[in-house]
Amino acid sequence: MKKSWSIAFLLVLAVFLAGCSDSSSTEENENASEGDVKTVGSEDAEVELSFWLFGADYESLVEEYVEENPNVSIDIQQISMADHHNNLFTALSAGSGAPDMAAIEVSEIDKYKGAQDKFYNLNEFGAKEIQDNYLDWVWEIGSSVDGEFQFGIPTDIGPTAMFYRKDVFEEAGLPSKPEEVNELMQTWEDYEKVASTVLEKTGKVMVDNPETVFNAKKDQAPEQYFNKDGELIIDSSPYIKDAFMNVSGMIQEDYIGNYELWSPEWGEGMSNGSFATLPGPAWMRDTIKNNAPDAENWRIASMPEGAGNWGGSWMTIPKQSEHPEEAYKFLKWLLAPEQQLKSFKNNGMFPSTPEVYEKEEFKNITDDYYGGQNVAKIFADAALEVEHVHKGEQYGDANMEVVQGLYNVYDGADPEQEWEDIISRIERRLSR
Amino acid sequence: MYSEKVKQKVAKSSLYGFLITVSLASLFPFYWMFVMATNSNETINQTPPALIPGSELVTNFQNVLGSIPFFRTMLNSLIVSTSITLGVVLLCSLAGFAFAKIPFPGRGILFVLILGTMMIPPQLGLIPTYFIITELGWLSDLKAVIVPGLMHAFGIFWMRQYIASAVPDEIMEAARIDGCSNFRMYWNIIIPTILPAFATLGIIVFMQIWGDYLWPLVVLKDQSMHTIQVALRSLMDDRVKDYGMILSGTFWATVPLIIIFLLFNRMFIKSITDGAVKS
Amino acid sequence: MSQPQPKHEHYYDDKQVEPGIPNQKESPKRRQLSQKKRNMISGYLFISPFYLLFAVFGLFPILFSFYLAFFKWDGLGEMTFVGLNNFVIIFNDPLFWKSLYNTIVIGLMGTAPQLLAALLLAFALNSALVKGQSLFRLAIFLPYVTSIVAVAIVFSVIFSNQESGLVNSIIGLFGMDPITWTRSEWGTKIAIATMVFWRWVGYNTIIYLAGMQSIPKDLYEAAKMDGASLRQQIIHITIPMLKPFILFTVFTATIGALQLFAEPQIFQGRGGRPEGISVVLYLYRDAFSSNFFGTASATAIVLFVLIIIISTINMYFTNRIGGSDKVGAK
Repeated sequence: MKKSWSIAFLLVLAVFLAGCSDSSSTEENENASEGDVKTVGSEDAEVELSFWLFGADYESLVEEYVEENPNVSIDIQQISMADHHNNLFTALSAGSGAPDMAAIEVSEIDKYKGAQDKFYNLNEFGAKEIQDNYLDWVWEIGSSVDGEFQFGIPTDIGPTAMFYRKDVFEEAGLPSKPEEVNELMQTWEDYEKVASTVLEKTGKVMVDNPETVFNAKKDQAPEQYFNKDGELIIDSSPYIKDAFMNVSGMIQEDYIGNYELWSPEWGEGMSNGSFATLPGPAWMRDTIKNNAPDAENWRIASMPEGAGNWGGSWMTIPKQSEHPEEAYKFLKWLLAPEQQLKSFKNNGMFPSTPEVYEKEEFKNITDDYYGGQNVAKIFADAALEVEHVHKGEQYGDANMEVVQGLYNVYDGADPEQEWEDIISRIERRLSR
Repeated sequence: MYSEKVKQKVAKSSLYGFLITVSLASLFPFYWMFVMATNSNETINQTPPALIPGSELVTNFQNVLGSIPFFRTMLNSLIVSTSITLGVVLLCSLAGFAFAKIPFPGRGILFVLILGTMMIPPQLGLIPTYFIITELGWLSDLKAVIVPGLMHAFGIFWMRQYIASAVPDEIMEAARIDGCSNFRMYWNIIIPTILPAFATLGIIVFMQIWGDYLWPLVVLKDQSMHTIQVALRSLMDDRVKDYGMILSGTFWATVPLIIIFLLFNRMFIKSITDGAVKS
Repeated sequence: MSQPQPKHEHYYDDKQVEPGIPNQKESPKRRQLSQKKRNMISGYLFISPFYLLFAVFGLFPILFSFYLAFFKWDGLGEMTFVGLNNFVIIFNDPLFWKSLYNTIVIGLMGTAPQLLAALLLAFALNSALVKGQSLFRLAIFLPYVTSIVAVAIVFSVIFSNQESGLVNSIIGLFGMDPITWTRSEWGTKIAIATMVFWRWVGYNTIIYLAGMQSIPKDLYEAAKMDGASLRQQIIHITIPMLKPFILFTVFTATIGALQLFAEPQIFQGRGGRPEGISVVLYLYRDAFSSNFFGTASATAIVLFVLIIIISTINMYFTNRIGGSDKVGAK
């Protein structure tokens, strides 16, 4: 028995020792890995700033900044989006543990707007001066309803377009060049006609799942779930209900697939061409590439009836920070047009600063994966079309119920009945 | 007599059939984990799916290393589990000894209270406990998991049962009359007698802490401070689902435990058997 | 009983006589008194670590949760006293009842057949006919080594919604259409119950096996002499003698089932869906996705009460198993 103890101990030790050397070497090699906490800057810097992020890679820019500002070192923590927001929320409510700088995603940011005491008002540091660098609608998302309190500086955004499979369109006997597809699908009515042709000729669904097409329609509405007073308006306002009913109709026509977002079958479908289109934002470009590295058939057209925005973050400075001025100085630099252009070129993060869109080196960016299309310009045009829509503190919960309702319709629920259920489900959540 | 023999043969082979089927079913997920961990996503997504190991063992694991600090989180889990195990075994045997062998006022009630705490869902105090951890400044510190983990009602219950049956009262009495202090008694008599129980409880606690993930998720914010469970879970959060990579992480996180278990299984099963019989 | 027994003397050969420790020559009464005191001190001392830890990381948070249950609070803003309203909200929420239903149904699906199977397996393993017992035991016990997160991940992939998912491929062989497991009422429950079953069946088998091996062989011999059939032996000897072990496993399995969380959370994604949501997941969702700490705390309290009620009920019923037996005297 003693022998086996020591054997096991040695084994475990060996595994970990091997592991230690392995992991350090891979950390050096891989910069973009999601799982690192990295301290950039010298250890004896006067100011140490902690920086919480998800799904964004600012490392090379941070290195650049730290080189020019040796008194600052920056701790970058990268985790998944859901963990990130959970952690941030818990740290803010507990009153300690929050970082000096934290990203907040567009669907989460309204939740924090009732808690101005937890954040620095960036206007105190002169944020008004840089406001004009950013798209109006993006800036407004980071402000309080009255515009007096600035929570965050915009980072990247997610203007939307219509990704489509050239080969599926061809198979259905439809025109398949981007300009032709723009022409072909100007309205949602056109889109449904194409859907019917695709289904008839190829047996394939038009779109991956109810959620993406609903999102696209929802984003075009001038108002969504809540008005600016925080009241639930989906019962009285026609837009969300129309979008819901419309998508439900498409489900019943079999135009819509069952490939849930981020699921493996979704990625598989992307790669196999199981669905003809995917309404998605600028950052979806990389998602498609990663899921379907060998597919050469994805192209990008404009969104019928106008683009919306899906995703993007705002950089905030929690009140717990002891170095808000240094943090602001860094964020101001990091998110200035020049740096946003670099982030786009290096990591595909779409800039929220319109002056970048005018630059030649931006406009001319093409992507071979998408048949050499001028991708930057397509999404820049989309970004300029977007208008600000108020989301509301409980946006996330309300949206989740509607999306769940759409899947229930897919699974056979009656749309009218489901709509009633959705409203009561949302109301029950709001009463908490 | 002859038919009795046939009957026994039938009984025997059906018994073996049953046990072999169950064993295979029990082992299959391990095999399958390995199959997935060695295949590329493309192979995995084929219909019918891959059922034999592929050649992507290294690639998949490299992807895991690119996504989570795998070895660091394994080490964290090892540190957390080992310190809690040692602490729990000592504290619980001490308390179990007191409850089993030392008469003191309120002993019964206090013991029932401990049993009662086993009924409390740990989620009940989750949010306030987080506040305490932040007050102590233990956020993203392994202490935040270790210290609350030392509180182990089942361990006390189990140790009490074990000590009550494994240590005869006569020895206690004798020692007492010899003037042996309670702590000496614990050190010189109880510990040597209950070493198998240490092993059993130790392994049970180790497994339990190793597998814990809700609490570590809440208090260990830095990714480099995650335990392996939290890290594995975050593999499922990737927006591009690579089952080869996900199961590679799961597989390699499970292998060390399997090795340890296979080495110690006799001791483990023997001691859990002794313990169960004696309680 | 209280006489010193010379045969145990070797235990104390190395003992040092500490000052102040009364020796055997003192009057028994005084010695007993101080022994009582000493017992009191060391007794409390030995159990104090648990109670100290419990005070800080158990009791206080629980009391605070009770306090929170009467407030409306999003974790950031003001706390508003709402009386019993949080409980009213929960009890009027069909999703809460659904989560309760799911917890109980999945609990029954994952636990009852599992304990029966464990009993059967233990019986088979205990049979004198089987050689290589330890090998089978090992194979059946191995899943227990896997963490719940790992089990949930592996079975999430086995029960993948993909057409190429393992279970979908298998049912495809029988001409069935692929099932969207994560959104199907019974599909979800089957998948989760399978995870529970697979991980725990070996553990319970080992415990039952230990119990069976503790039953004196001569009881069976005697029963055989009396002409008892195998079935009668099981009902009248094995089950009654196993009672404490069955109690133990039912008790732990029930509490485990009521606290079901990781499996549905990983299987259906963070927010969960109505098909698989458990009470703890319902609580978690309120607290950590929506930050309704008031209703989350109220749910925690309801869960606590529920665990007590259900444990009492099943203790009562399990206690009655073989209650009329004459064999299991002690």
